[in-house]
Parts: sequence; C-alpha cells; structure tokens
Amino acid sequence: MNILSKTMIACVGLALAACTQPEYLQGVDGNGAGSGAYGSGSAQDPTSPLYFQQTVGDRVLFAVDQSTISPEGAATLDGQAQWLMTNTAYSAIIEGHADEQGTREYNLALGARRANAVQEYLLSKGVAGNRMKVVSYGKERPLEVCSDEACYNKNRRAVTVVSAIPNS
Amino acid sequence: MGKAAEAGRTRGLDRVNTGQIISGVGHLGLIAFALFGGAFQSEPLPMEVSEVTAISSEDFALLMAQTQAPDAVANVDTPEPPEAGEAVPDLTSDTDETPVVAQPEVAEPDVPDEAPDVAELAPPEAEVTDEAPVLQPPSEEVAVLPEINPESQPRPADVIAPEAVEAPEPDVRIDDVDQQETQPDEAETVVEDEQEETARQETTTEIVTEAEEEEDAPIAPTASVRPVARPSRPVEEPAEEVVQDVPSTENSSVEDALAEALGTTQTETRPAGPPLTAGEKDALRLGVQQCWNVGSLSTDALQTIVVVAFQMTEDAKPVANSIRMVSSSGGSSSSAQQAFDAARRAIIRCGARGYDLPAEKYDQWREVEITFNPENMRIK
Amino acid sequence: MMKHVLTLLAAFLIGATPVAAQDSQPLKIIVDQGVIEPLPFAVPDFVAGSSASAEYARNIARVVSADLSGTGLFREIPSNAYISQITSFSSPVQFADWKAINAEALVTGFVNVDASGKLVVQFRVYDVFAGQEMSQGLQFVGTPDGWRRMAHKVADEVYKRITGEGAYFDSRVVFVSETGPKNQREKRLAIMDYDGANVSYLTDSSSIVLAPRFSPSGSQVLYTSYESGFPRINVLDVSNVARRALEGQDGTMSFAPRFAPDGRTVVYSLTRGGNTDLYTMDINTGASQRLTNAPSIETAPSFSPDGSQIVFESDRSGTPQLYVMSSGGGEATRISFGKGRYGTPVWSPRGDYIAFTKQSKGRFHIGVMRTNGSEERLLTASFLDEGPTWAPNGRVIMFTRETAGASGASSLWSVDITGRNLRQVATNTGASDPAWSPLQN
Repeated sequence: MNILSKTMIACVGLALAACTQPEYLQGVDGNGAGSGAYGSGSAQDPTSPLYFQQTVGDRVLFAVDQSTISPEGAATLDGQAQWLMTNTAYSAIIEGHADEQGTREYNLALGARRANAVQEYLLSKGVAGNRMKVVSYGKERPLEVCSDEACYNKNRRAVTVVSAIPNS
Repeated sequence: MGKAAEAGRTRGLDRVNTGQIISGVGHLGLIAFALFGGAFQSEPLPMEVSEVTAISSEDFALLMAQTQAPDAVANVDTPEPPEAGEAVPDLTSDTDETPVVAQPEVAEPDVPDEAPDVAELAPPEAEVTDEAPVLQPPSEEVAVLPEINPESQPRPADVIAPEAVEAPEPDVRIDDVDQQETQPDEAETVVEDEQEETARQETTTEIVTEAEEEEDAPIAPTASVRPVARPSRPVEEPAEEVVQDVPSTENSSVEDALAEALGTTQTETRPAGPPLTAGEKDALRLGVQQCWNVGSLSTDALQTIVVVAFQMTEDAKPVANSIRMVSSSGGSSSSAQQAFDAARRAIIRCGARGYDLPAEKYDQWREVEITFNPENMRIK
Repeated sequence: MMKHVLTLLAAFLIGATPVAAQDSQPLKIIVDQGVIEPLPFAVPDFVAGSSASAEYARNIARVVSADLSGTGLFREIPSNAYISQITSFSSPVQFADWKAINAEALVTGFVNVDASGKLVVQFRVYDVFAGQEMSQGLQFVGTPDGWRRMAHKVADEVYKRITGEGAYFDSRVVFVSETGPKNQREKRLAIMDYDGANVSYLTDSSSIVLAPRFSPSGSQVLYTSYESGFPRINVLDVSNVARRALEGQDGTMSFAPRFAPDGRTVVYSLTRGGNTDLYTMDINTGASQRLTNAPSIETAPSFSPDGSQIVFESDRSGTPQLYVMSSGGGEATRISFGKGRYGTPVWSPRGDYIAFTKQSKGRFHIGVMRTNGSEERLLTASFLDEGPTWAPNGRVIMFTRETAGASGASSLWSVDITGRNLRQVATNTGASDPAWSPLQN
C-alpha cells in the first residue's frame, strides 16, 4: 500500500500520462521490489529509470502466440542493453505478458517465454545474468482493456522494469 | 396444524419398536456429542458485521485461526460484498470452514420405515385443476445466449421428445397427450370427462448445447425453424371411450365355466380374438413412450435396459401393484431401480385414462411385457 | 347344459397347450423412444415440531427445492397448485391429490429443535404414481446454524434416489473473487457453498492469486500466489487459513498445481529459462520429480482418479493440445485432434470423461471427451469460457465465463454434461477459477 501510494504520488508530481499504466504497479506487486524506481530523476536525465522507460523504451511487442524478438524489438533491446551496461547500479525485472486470448495457465507459460526471450537477448548483449530476473503475468495484467487486436497487440509484451540495486 | 402434526408424529413413532428408539436415540446422542460436543461448550462468537478495519494479513490469518470453532453466522444468503479496493480482509462471513454442521448424522432406520399405508381414496373429483402447474417457459437458463436471433433457432426446449411439439396456445394445459376440448353438454353419460383442452408440452427432438446452437446459428439465411410438424394430432375418442364393459351373459358364463375348469376364481379367457395388429401395438407403444421420461435418470441408468411386466384391467388401465421388473441389463445393478421407477411411472401415468387397445382382444393384452431400451435416449 | 359344454370346451382349450400357452403369453412391446424433461416434484414446507423450528422447516424445504430445480433435471410444482397440504409427517400421503397436480415425486419432512438445541430433520421421498415411498425415511441431526448443510444433505439423498446419480449438493467451491477494472483486477481467494451461499474469504487482495484447487479431502487448497513477486504455489489450510509456500527455487516460477488422489503429491508446472515442464512434489518432504523434459510448454496437469495417469496440455505439436501420460512421466499420447486449441483438461471424478477448454474460430468452449479423446462434445460457447471443474458426482461442470471489452467481467457458470441447464452461479463479486470440493462428510 505504502509503496504504491509513494509511487502514485511521485507519478502525480511528475504529471506523467504514463502513470495510468499498470506495470508500475506490477513492479511492486507483492514483493516491494522496484521501490522508488521511478520516484527520482526525470525523463531528461539519461541515467534515470524514467528516461529508460520513455526514451530508451521499456517494452517489446510480440506476434500472436510468438516469443521471437522482432527487428523493432531488437532495436529497443539494444538500447536497453546499452543503458543497463551504463547504469550498473540498476537491476531489471523482465515481465512477460499475453493477451486475453488463451487459457490462464498457457498464457503464464507464454509470458514466461517472452520474458525469457528478452533476457536471452540482453544476456547476449553483455548484461550480466545476475542483474536480471524474469516473471510472467500471463493475461493477468493487460495494459489495454478492449477486446480486439488493437489492444491485444499492445498487451502481448515484455516490459523491462529497472530499479536501483539496494546498497547492502 | 401444530396439533395435527403432533398427533401424526406420535402415531408414527408408536410404530417403531421401543428398543430401536432407545438405541437409536442413545447412539445418535453419543455420536452427536462426539461430533458437536465441542461446539456446544463454547459460546458462539458474536457476529461482526462488515467491520472494515485495516489489519495485516498476518493478523487476518491469526484471527481466522481463532474463529474456527462454532460458526455463528446464520444469515447466509447475502454475504457482504467485499469493498472494492480495500485490501482488507472482510470479517463478515465466517471464514472458518470447519464443517459447520459437521457430519449430520445419517441414522438409517431411525425414522419409522414402513411406508404409511394408503387406502386408494376416491379419485380427485374429476375437476381438473385450473392451475397448470407446469407452464412457465424454460426459464432455467439465466440468460445471455450470445448474439443469436431466437427466432431463427431451434430453441433448446426444456423437453426432448421423439417428435417436436410446438409451443401450445397459452391457455392450454400441458398434458401428456393432445386432447381436444370436449363438449360438456353432449350427454349425461359422460361422467368424468369434461375434458379441458390439453396439449403436450413444447418439445424439441434433440439436445442442443450452447456450442451447437452457435454452430448452426447465422450461417444460412435459411436457418430453418426446424420441425414444423403439425403439433397436435387430436386424439379422437376421449369421451365415448368410456366403455362400460358390462360383461355379456355369454361371457360371464364362459368365465364361470372356465373358473370351474380351472378350479379358481380367476377370470380367464374369452375368445382371444385375433392377435393385435402392428398398428394396435404401436398405439400402446406410443401411449407409453409419451410418459417415459428419462430426463432425470443418471447416465448409468440411461445405460440400463429394463423389462417390465404388468397386468391390464379390461378398460386398458395398468394394475399398479402388478408392475414388476422382469429383468435388467446394462448399467450397474444400482441403476436398475431408477430405470424401473421411470418405466413404472410411464406405464401408470399414461395409462391413467386407459390405453388405446381394442377391447375385444383383451386376452391379447391382459398381460403386457415392455422392454424399455434407453439406447436412443442417451446423449450422443 | 350350455355351461357343461363350455366347461368341456374350456378344458379342451386348456389341455391343448400350444394354443393356450400362446394365449397366456404377455403382449410384448419395445419402447425405445421417450421424453427427456425435468421431473415434476413437490416439496411442501417441512412440518415444524415447534414454533422454534418453523423457520428452519420452511427454509430447509426451500433449499431442497432449489437444489433439485437447479440441476435442471427436476421442476418444482409451486405450492399454490397444491390440492392438499402436508400437515403431519407420519400420516398417509394422499397420493391422489399429488397425482392430480402431476407431482411425480413428493418430498415431505419434519424439523424439530430438540431439548439439547440440536436441529433434527426427517424426510421421506415418495414416488407418487407408484403410490410408494422410495427407499426409507432418513434423519439428520446437526447444529441449527448448519441448517443449510442439512438441507443440502436431504436434497442429495432425494437426488440420488430418483436419478441414481451420486450426490453433490453438500459441497463447496473455492474460487477467485475479482473486483476492480480489468487492468488492475484485485483477486482474492474465496470459498462458498456450491450454490453461492456462505461466502468467506481465504486471502486478502494484496497480491494476485490464481487457480485454487482442493485436496482430495477438501481440507487444503493449493493455489498460485504472487506474494513473493513471482508466481509460487501455496498450500492453505481451509479450516484456519494458515498458508505456506511450497518449496521453490529462485529464478523459477511454479503454477498450475493439482493434488494427486493420494493427497500428498502435487503435480504442477515449473518454468525455468522460459521453458515450462511438469513436475511432481511431495507436499510434506518437498522432494520433487521432473515428469516432462521438452522445449515446449507443458502445463495444466490433472490426475486420473486412480492416480495412475496425468492429462495435460502441451504445445509440442505447434498448438496447445491434450496429452495423457503415466503419472510417473514418460511417453505421452495425444488425445485431442479437433480443429482448434485445447487447454485445462480435467479428469472427471468418475474417471469417464475429461473436461477441457477449447479455443476455436475466436470463441471459447467448455467441452468433454472420453479419456481416449473420442466422443468430443462442446457444451458451451462464448467470448471466453475456461477452466472447467467437476462436481463431485461427475455430472455437472462449473467454469469461468468472461465477457469482452473494457468492462469485461468474470462470472461462474455451471452446465450439465449433457450440455443442458447452463446457468450462472450467483456470486457477489466477479468470480473466476472455480474448483469444486469433494462431497463433504
């Protein structure tokens, strides 16, 4: 609750439209990881998570039932890898998602495939494996809520959520 | 009603052997004590209604752990909806699932077990109830059949029958046979038969699942309203059919003679007459199958073929207590009873007014043996 | 004179056995067509032993009636059609009065609160047209606040006697209660009676919970929780909501758990490095065993009731299909061959059918097939139906139905395995992922 409201306050303060997007919440869902990830810095600060999210691009999209990285996706991930290599104080959780067209269990596994594909790509670009974790939300956290392809293609995604590595 | 109830109950209990009662009550008490003793020792917790407080999930769990024993909530119909957005455990309805009733005691013979004897009382005054008990449309499906034009569809009617029957006029009583209204003033000979118009209940010929319904849905514009069979084949002779079978002298002397010959009082053979024609047999078959309702049978009982034998009176009514199961096959042994019950209901219900059988061939149908084979009635 | 002749004639006829024997042959016919319709029944309010039990007497009769009607196999005759009333439990029933309103079955009962405060319920079931009681009267004793369970027990007994099918009314359903918009759905575990009454919550909504499953005894529930930030399998004790996470390894996700009939083995999916395979784990020792080893997705496993086999979903062929393998793993046999994608197979408690979710032409269906894949039959169709669960008697299936669009919501539905009697299960919130308990004792 606390973390959530902090995040919300930070978001409101920055007046970011993107704050309505739920994956901010996902980072804190349950375990509190990612605390304050977007609470500091600005989109202009290239070392800030906001910059990562907005300018580098934190997500890649997938075709129906697929987990292969598209050329556009690869370009985004190149940027992510670069950012992570530069900003070594951050770790990443890669969230895989699916659209609602599928059973719950299958979509969890499919989301995991997508998250994993991103992780593999980042690994191949030199990001250390121990800075990355993957998680799948299946169809539990859609970004867009309509029930047609316009929304589905935005929901079939893997989102890289970066957060500062705790000092300890 | 209290008094009557009390009186009736006492009578019923008197029939039970006292020893059984004592033993039964003792055992029950013991078992019940073992099961619920604990529950009665502690006071039920007061019921908290919808207190929304912020407590941690640990506290929640703890609390739940404490509440487990007696379940204090009697109001079960409408549990409070949880507050949306409140990450707070809802304390309204009891969480503890410790079986509340715990095993209600199943005490088999604790209730006096002989069925009360029932004298066949006079039939219900021939005044047919106005209240059609049946008529409500198949409302069981709570709605939302997706985007299908109801008019172009064979509706999944409540009733599956060998032939489709269209929905009857609204004020027609549903019965097992189609029946035309009879003129009440025809003749004073017609005693019981001021027949109100009846029709068989609307039926369809097969089970249409939601999925199948969708399949045949909007494809062709011809989406044919399936069976438009003429709904009611009027049954012709309901009124005059009151054959007042007064045995002729000849007949009775035959019977007497026969009784003499057999040394019994049993009424036997008149000239048997020619065998039933296929059409006559069919009439009986059709008569029974209208009432053979397998809709409430288990899937197992639907695998069970039963052969049922019974006697008919001369006015073609089945003798209820003569109906017996000759044999059964398929299914499991336990399903034969339900299969037989359904067959018996069919024979009695559709025979209540007498089957359509030629009186002069009584000896051909005095004894009837029907094989009820549900093979075609299973889900395919 | 005439009489003598006749006597002789009769004697002759009887002596001439071939003819006579033929005459005494019963008329034999075969009936192989009938009707399938709900059986009309009457459940008058039970007779109350005292004013203290009057309300129970009425309410129990109502619940019994609702249970029976809810199956779709029975149709209640409303009390305003009754010709006679039941005012005494042990007086003879006036069958003619019940025949006249076409009540084929009649249930009568007596309810009393005894000196020790216990609720005593007696009942009888009559086959009205046969003019007989079906089996014997029975009596249940319990605490008054458990009157609903006692009513379900009565209804179970009636249902068994008339249909020959196993009981299922005295059962519970654990499910996921859903509130909030589609993209921020709050989910918490809840449990209720099979008919939607007596809801209580087992978890709060602080983290996503998915797909609860009962243990064979009904005392425990397995489910997937994001409490740790990652999907992990928890086991929860229904009686006190105490819960713990099953052993798990960092960097993996585990989900889709189900108990084996032995009540201690759990089969589930574990994802490592993007690949999802099936494992079993001993719930007490935490010892796990890998069952499949393929680059494809293997998930949604379900044991056969005898514990010897597992049916599961795999996309090893390119699309998700159903497979059966030995419960120890090894080679799997594909059983689904229709057009479309198959998922969430669940073995019937009777062992005769497998229920599944099928996705085809943009629609979702709940269907059943024989355990070898034959006789596939789709029972429902909608924008999104999924996750079937079996009633304890293997006759009814409950599942999740979700509506489309931004305001899409989930609800629970049930359907008879014949495909008839599709109906929504009443819940106060959105609801998904139902799992039917075994019959309570």
